[in-house]
Amino acid sequence: MKRKNNKKYNKRNDNPLNKLSLFQKSDSRFSKTCPLSGKDAPIIDYKNVKVLKRYVSDTNKIMSSKITSVSQSKQRKLTSEIKKAKILGLM
Amino acid sequence: MSFYEHTIIAKQDISTPELEKIEKKYKDIITNTEGKIIKIEKWGLMSFEKKIKAYNKGFYIHYKFEAENETLDEIKRNSVIDNSLLRHLTVRYKKLDLEAEYFNEKESNEKKK
Repeated sequence: MKRKNNKKYNKRNDNPLNKLSLFQKSDSRFSKTCPLSGKDAPIIDYKNVKVLKRYVSDTNKIMSSKITSVSQSKQRKLTSEIKKAKILGLM
Repeated sequence: MSFYEHTIIAKQDISTPELEKIEKKYKDIITNTEGKIIKIEKWGLMSFEKKIKAYNKGFYIHYKFEAENETLDEIKRNSVIDNSLLRHLTVRYKKLDLEAEYFNEKESNEKKK
């Protein structure tokens, strides 16, 4: 009986997604690709408020690329475009 | 010559004939200084996300045109002085996107009803 239990325990630990501890982060969490670059990516524009609102916190702050995993060049474009929308009172 | 987009926000308490005057005024400024108007979009009455100068709503007018430096100076000078405007913004583009319309006057009116 003891052997069977050990086998089950080992199987769970093999999958990195099953790690739930805060300090040992799983590898798969940081391998996300940029959602704004690629083939069917949405247009980043100050008129396209629906897209811009995804990358803003509840208190209208711009989210960091660490959380949203936006690429560096797109993040630069996002910030300038969000600031333009704020001038016109759209966000 | 390069392409530009210009948006104006007019105050809420302005009557409709006055709004048409404002729209014509900036149209004339662009054409008089050898610019080409490509498209004019009226976004209609929209509410702001935040108060601007104690106003909650405003009329949006959007121009797409091709012009040189002189017209930009003229537009900026006029819109800063103008008392009936709240805000204005000009953006330069390499290519204008004429197909996508993010704000329609009909849609915004229907939502309020």
